[in-house]
Amino acid sequence: MLNIKKLITVTLWALSCLMASQNSAYAHGEKALEPFIRMRTIQWYDVRWSQEQLKINDEVVITGKFHVAEDWPRSVPKPDATYLNVSTPGPVFIRTERYLNGQPWVSSAALKLGGDYDFKIVLKARLPGRFHIHPFFNLHDAGSVMGPGHWLEIAGDSALFSNPVKTLNGDVVDMESYGFANGVSWHVFWIVLGSAWLLWWVRRPLFIPRYKMLQAGNEDALITSLDKTIAKAILVVVPMFVLGAYAMTDSQYPNAIPLQAALDQIEPLTPEVNNGLVQVKVKRSEYHVPGRAMILTAQIHNLSDQPVQVGEFASGNLRFINNTVGMAYQDHGDPLVAQTGLKVDSPDPIQPGETRTVQIEAADSLWETEQLDGLFRDADSRLGGLLFLYDATGKRYVASVATAVIPQFN
Amino acid sequence: MATNVLDIPPQPYTGEKVRLTRAYDYLILVLALFLFIGSFHLHVALTVGDWDFWLDWKDRQWWPLVTPLMMITFPAAVQSVLWTNFRLPLGATLCVACLLIGTWITRIFAYHYWNYFPINVVLPATIMPSALILDVILMLSNSLTVTSIFGGMAFALLFYPSNWPIFAMFHVPVEYGNAQLTLADVFGFQYIRAGMPEYLRLIERGTLRTYGQYATPLSAFCSALLCTLMYPLWWYLGRWFATVRFVKKI
Repeated sequence: MLNIKKLITVTLWALSCLMASQNSAYAHGEKALEPFIRMRTIQWYDVRWSQEQLKINDEVVITGKFHVAEDWPRSVPKPDATYLNVSTPGPVFIRTERYLNGQPWVSSAALKLGGDYDFKIVLKARLPGRFHIHPFFNLHDAGSVMGPGHWLEIAGDSALFSNPVKTLNGDVVDMESYGFANGVSWHVFWIVLGSAWLLWWVRRPLFIPRYKMLQAGNEDALITSLDKTIAKAILVVVPMFVLGAYAMTDSQYPNAIPLQAALDQIEPLTPEVNNGLVQVKVKRSEYHVPGRAMILTAQIHNLSDQPVQVGEFASGNLRFINNTVGMAYQDHGDPLVAQTGLKVDSPDPIQPGETRTVQIEAADSLWETEQLDGLFRDADSRLGGLLFLYDATGKRYVASVATAVIPQFN
Repeated sequence: MATNVLDIPPQPYTGEKVRLTRAYDYLILVLALFLFIGSFHLHVALTVGDWDFWLDWKDRQWWPLVTPLMMITFPAAVQSVLWTNFRLPLGATLCVACLLIGTWITRIFAYHYWNYFPINVVLPATIMPSALILDVILMLSNSLTVTSIFGGMAFALLFYPSNWPIFAMFHVPVEYGNAQLTLADVFGFQYIRAGMPEYLRLIERGTLRTYGQYATPLSAFCSALLCTLMYPLWWYLGRWFATVRFVKKI
C-alpha cells in the first residue's frame, strides 16, 4: 500500500514538474517547413510594421517586398494560386485592406517566377492581447511560407470594436452582428417545430411496447388518424412555408449576387532583384556543421558605375549582416538578425567593370535554432537567398542566388 | 367514451412494466441523443465541412449539392431502424435536431469563444424542414421506394429555399478592394483564417455555365437525384448495423 502511495505521489510530482516546465507556444510552424522551400520560394525583405502598440480599432500597416525565386523547387507546385495571409491566432485583427504592387487585392493571385512584388496589408485591432504576427504566403498544394514575425500589443476593451461596411445599396452594416439575429431566429423557429414533432412521439411509450405491438400485428394502433392528419398538414404546410419565405426573401434582396471567386493576375514590378547591374553567380556552397556557417563562393560582376560591397545575405528570413558596410543594417526590430554574421574574404569594394570571385561566410547559431541547417538532409538540398550589395552612396543592388549545398561535418 | 387528442395510444403493458419500459425509453433516448450529436455532427464536419462552417463557402453550385447528399445519410439509417422495428417516424428529425445541437455547441464554443469569430460568420445551415418532410413521407407511405424517390428528392430540393432566408442578406453586393464582392466574401477577407486561403474555397467551380445564371436549381436537382440513391444505401446500412436481438428476449 505504501508503495502505491509513493508511486502516486511521485507520478503527480513528475506531472506537475512537466506542466510547470511548459511555456506557451507562440510559433506558427515557420520552422517546420522544409528549409529548401523557405529559402527558394518567396524571398521576403524590407518587411516593416507601422506600430507595435495599438488600441482597439487602431490600424497597423505591414509593408514589405518579396522576390519569387527563379530557382523554384521542382517538388513545389508553381505559384499559380497564392494568397498573401497573416498568421494570427484567429481574427484578433481584421484585415481591412491589402495591396500587391499598389493594386487593391482581395482574392487569390498567380505569381511569376523571378518576379518582384511589394505588398501592403492594413490590419485593424479587434481583441486585446499580445500577438506574434507574420505576413505569409499560402501556396496552393505547397503550404505556408512565413515572412518575418513581429510582436504586436493591443490594449483596450473589445466591446468598443466596430466594423462598419457600406453596401452598394447604401446601407451601412455592422459586420460583427449583421445577420446574427435573423439567422438565430430561423434556426430557433425550425428547431421548435422539429422538437414539437419529436415530443409528439416521445410522449408516448416507445421502444419495447411498440415493438411488441408491431410483432403482434397491432400496427394500426401505433399510428393514429390524428398522427396521419398532422403528417399530411406538415407535408403541405412546410414546403409551402419554405417556398413562401424563399420568395419573400428573394424580393427583399433583389440585387443579391453569387459569391465571388476570382484569381487576380498582377504583373511584377520592374526588376529590383537581379536587375543586371550587379551580377552574382554562386559557384559552390558549403555548410560547416560544427561552425554553423554557410560559405558561398561567388563570382560578382559589377556592371554599375560605382564600387560595391557585399552587405547582407538573407535566406529563409535569417539576415546575416556585414557590419563593415555601414549602410547594410537598420534596426527595425527584426529578431532573426546576425549583426556581425557576414564576412567576406576580400573586403575591398568591387570596382565598376570588375569581376571578382569572393568567399562569403554567413555564420551564426540562427542556422540551427531556425532549423535551416537541416537543408542538406532535404530531398532538394539547394540553398537560396538574397545577396545585398551597396555602393558608397547607399544604393542597393539585390541578387537572388541559388546553389547546391555540400555539408562539411568536421 | 370520448377521447382527447393528446390521449396516448394503447400499449400491451400495465403496472410496473409500464414504468420499466418507460425508463428504458428514456435511457435509450439519452444515449441516442449523445450518440447522434457526436457521430452525425462528426460525419457532417468531415464531409460537408467548410461548406457548412463558413459564410463564404455557401455558394450556388456545391453547397446545395453536397450538403443534402451528406446529410441524408444518418437520417436514412436511423429511420430504417426506428420505422421498421418501432413504427416511429422521427428518425430524420431526431438526427437533424442532434446535428444542430452539436453544430451550435461547436460554433459558439470552438469558433466564437476559442477562435474569436463572430457567430454570424459561422452560421450553420438548417435542414430541419427537409427532415420533417422525410419523416412524414415515410410515415404516410410506409414504403422505402416512395420515401427514397419523393422523400429523397424533397430532402434535397427544400434545402436551398429553406436556407435562403438566413443567408440571402450576406449576398448583398459591396464595393471592396476595387471589386464587387458579397458581404460573405468580405467576411472571408476581413476575418483572418490563416489555414483557409481564398483559393481553397470550392465554390462556383464546375461546368454549369451554359444555363445562364441559374446554377442553383440544377445543383439542387442533381443533389435530389443523388439523394434518391443515397437514401436506400444508408437505409440498408442502418438495417445492417442495427439489431433488436435484445428486445426480442424481453
